[in-house]
Amino acid sequence: MREQNSLPPKLPDRVLNWFLKDDLLEEISGDLYEYYMELGDIPEWKKKLFYCYHLINFLRPFALKKLEGRQKLNNYGMFKNYFKVGFRNILKYKMFSFINVFGLAVAMSVCMLIILMLADQKSYDQFHENKERVYRILGTPYVGSVPYATVPVPLSDAIKDRYPIIEKSTSLRKGVGGDAIYKNQIADLKGYFADDSFFEVLSFPLISGNKNSALSLPNSVVISKDKANQLFKDENPVGRHIQFEDRGLRVLDIDGDADSSVDWGTFTITGIVDNDAIKSHLKFDILMSISTLNRLQEDSLIVDNSQKWDAYQSAFSYILLKDEVSRSELKDALKNLSERQYSDLEDLSEYSFSSQKLTDITPGIIVANEDSFRLPELPYFVLSMFASIIMIMACLNYVNLSVAKSLSRMKEIGVRKVNGATRKNLMFQFLLESILTALLALVISTFILFFLKEAFMNLWVNKYLNFDLNVTVSVYLVFTAFALLVGMIAGIYPALFISRRKPVNALKSQIEEKKGKWGIRKVLSVSQFVFSLLFIVTSIVIYNQFKFFTEFEYGFDSENIVNVHLHGNDHELISTEFSSVPGVKNISACEYIPATGVTNLISLVDKRNEDEVIEMLHQKVSETFIDNLGLSLVAGKGLTTSASDDELTIINESAVNKLGFENPEEAIGSIWKTRENSSLKIVGVVRDFRATLLISGDEIQPMLMTSDPENFNFLNVKVSGENPMRVVSELEERWKKLDSRHRFKYEFYQNELDNTNLVVFDVVSVIGYISFLSILIACLGLLGMAIYTTERKTKEVGIRKVLGAAEMNIVLILSKSFMKLLLISVLIAAPLSFVVNKLWLDNFPNRVDFGFGTVVIGSLLMLGLGLLTIGSQTIRAARQNPVESLKDE
Amino acid sequence: MKNKGLGEFEELVLLAVCILEDTAYGVTVKKEVEKHSGRSILLGAVHITLYRLQDKGFLKSEMGGNSEKRGDRRKRLFKITETGMQQLQAAQDVRQKMWQFIPQLKPGV
Repeated sequence: MREQNSLPPKLPDRVLNWFLKDDLLEEISGDLYEYYMELGDIPEWKKKLFYCYHLINFLRPFALKKLEGRQKLNNYGMFKNYFKVGFRNILKYKMFSFINVFGLAVAMSVCMLIILMLADQKSYDQFHENKERVYRILGTPYVGSVPYATVPVPLSDAIKDRYPIIEKSTSLRKGVGGDAIYKNQIADLKGYFADDSFFEVLSFPLISGNKNSALSLPNSVVISKDKANQLFKDENPVGRHIQFEDRGLRVLDIDGDADSSVDWGTFTITGIVDNDAIKSHLKFDILMSISTLNRLQEDSLIVDNSQKWDAYQSAFSYILLKDEVSRSELKDALKNLSERQYSDLEDLSEYSFSSQKLTDITPGIIVANEDSFRLPELPYFVLSMFASIIMIMACLNYVNLSVAKSLSRMKEIGVRKVNGATRKNLMFQFLLESILTALLALVISTFILFFLKEAFMNLWVNKYLNFDLNVTVSVYLVFTAFALLVGMIAGIYPALFISRRKPVNALKSQIEEKKGKWGIRKVLSVSQFVFSLLFIVTSIVIYNQFKFFTEFEYGFDSENIVNVHLHGNDHELISTEFSSVPGVKNISACEYIPATGVTNLISLVDKRNEDEVIEMLHQKVSETFIDNLGLSLVAGKGLTTSASDDELTIINESAVNKLGFENPEEAIGSIWKTRENSSLKIVGVVRDFRATLLISGDEIQPMLMTSDPENFNFLNVKVSGENPMRVVSELEERWKKLDSRHRFKYEFYQNELDNTNLVVFDVVSVIGYISFLSILIACLGLLGMAIYTTERKTKEVGIRKVLGAAEMNIVLILSKSFMKLLLISVLIAAPLSFVVNKLWLDNFPNRVDFGFGTVVIGSLLMLGLGLLTIGSQTIRAARQNPVESLKDE
Repeated sequence: MKNKGLGEFEELVLLAVCILEDTAYGVTVKKEVEKHSGRSILLGAVHITLYRLQDKGFLKSEMGGNSEKRGDRRKRLFKITETGMQQLQAAQDVRQKMWQFIPQLKPGV
């Protein structure tokens, strides 16, 4: 017999007390009690469940407390009255309500967008069964470095074998990427080598195949559902064999720069993963069993990293901690391991491991060598900060306007107080009104959000971030909670302020207008405009910077050049074919496209000091490259394919300095050794041109060009200016003849260069939008204040006009205080925005000129908008016929 | 209340109250009805029916008899009224009468 004397649970009882009619309470609770005691020998939780079930069933009209009786009726009635009065007020002062609701709605939509973004990011990696116990191991190569997401391959096994706190571990080795071929279908697959504990640590949904054995045998692969559909159409893929040709594709590659393909042999499909059903930071099309590596390593198709502790860029490692193991135990184990492995390694003596919880990866700290694009935490902080500023500005509008407006509700407050309303009641009433306003704003902001979301998704950066901004029910709940919060924050000051009024003064409509109150409102208004100007100037500066980038002189001629991806084909073959196309003027080949983000480095042994190396950019180009891109030779001659022992090379002017020559002519003919001990002979010097991204640095880096047809990845085809698209389509025809397997991939060089600056344009758009909102909200606030002031001064204006004041004078009198306000804002914000922008711009490479001119433009813009706002009201007031304003009462 | 007649469940409850004589209250009525009809009933359903029958004037009630088993709370003891008894009898009569008019007792034909 278990716990015969257990009593019914307390909490449900309290609920019953709350809703049940008082005169029924005793008998019913008694009956329930008895029922519970007689339930007999069943588990406690079941008893409680039955009890609650029966209890909830008393939620029937007959048993409910009626909202009757003196106290209750009054509460309910007052509540109703607050709602009614609140709504009437919103409807009565349409302009004010519009300003409040619209301002709040606009600001809320921005906040909601950020909530959506965060909600999406938070939903990553939530599907893993043991997500609370799974950690990714990070490696930090030296003190002060950003941690790397990658770790050495042997870590995964070593940590599991040596530390009993770890239940399981799995390792994803990088390096699978190529074409899978089945019958006539071909699909490019990118992914990892994975071991058989992969599916035990991480819960990727395997829709077919056995998750215990899928990755155990050599030559087995698990592929993603969409790629399986692409390859096999309607056939069942599991058990089928595919041919795999590796092309060196990497998971992160966007446009598939690839080496020539290497046949890796035949593989059996052992499972299909449904990657569309889940959201994970890990993205892959293919998982190859790690046991395949032995064969590939024996055939020298892949480097053997399996025991290399210094190859810390080759694998990802995930571990599953045993139950009840704390994070600090893991930390100790990792510390112990890194000391053990690395204290002897000279280059990596500072190397250390750390751990990152699976669910903390997205959104998370900035990590190097990650295999997916995602926004680190920092942009969220910045965006949230902007959004909060906007939100606060909108709330300030509400505060400002309702405090001002409260003067006209003095009588109502007085009557309420005389009739016995306490301060608490009044505060509640005004809070309710602000919450009502916020909820109205919520409705409107949902519409705005719809458009905002579209605009946001069209930002360039979102092509890579894969945000999924669908509004779900739970997100709506968050929105509603957010709106309630905003309502409360906006309403708390007005509620405090209004409820403080003394009933006598309130009824006499005596305005207790102390200087201080106006002071606060002015400070609020000024701060709004200060922020607005700050945003405006910043967005102008960034826009200028963007324009500066797009018109940047790279030092080479990118016009009418079409870059064609070779896909591992022989460049001679393709260029011969292409050169016969009418409209093609010149063709050259190179390893990577300069100034688009990709660079290679080469290290030369310094002749002056044999221990030192000189790092330079390294580009492999064909003979025609220099001519084709309009680079000019300063000294020497171009590359020729003359065969001697020394490889011929051309350097740029910066390299001349770096190598220690006084002038270009001196450098010609000198021979340099690389660290790999091959020798290079300088035959020419070209004028400096920009081969790196504009944002990556101010200076043109030293560069070295050699000719190495093996490594050419791109053709630069110079086409004639008229109708380049026709030439391109002709090129595509020719391409199809030579390579039927790969898509013809081309890009106009000028577009490619422009694309590198699109991220700057994104920043312009975001800041621009924020500044637009801030000035909008600030102006709305100003408009509200102007309406209010002119309304209150209608009589004054009438009398002044009767006594002969000119319209212009009246406008000036009415606008004076506002103009002062605007001027003060400009005086504060102009120097501030100058300093702030100077600060970040000084650390920015290739910056645009920034002077007071930009600040002046911004200030004028803001002053103009502000004056327009005030003017719209004051001029109207001044024009009014005094008869109209003086006749009533 | 418009309908002064008896519903099926009401009749069962009324009968149970009759059977239980002086000890009819929520829990016992529930048990009694469950015992005879063989179905499981919610306590709330019993209560609502008891109160309704009382409103119709078929039952009367008084408070009394607290016990430790009930956490020292009194129970409402129900008793059938004269009208209640009549109503029950009337319902029984109607049925009896109708039974007599069934030609043959052959269920399922």
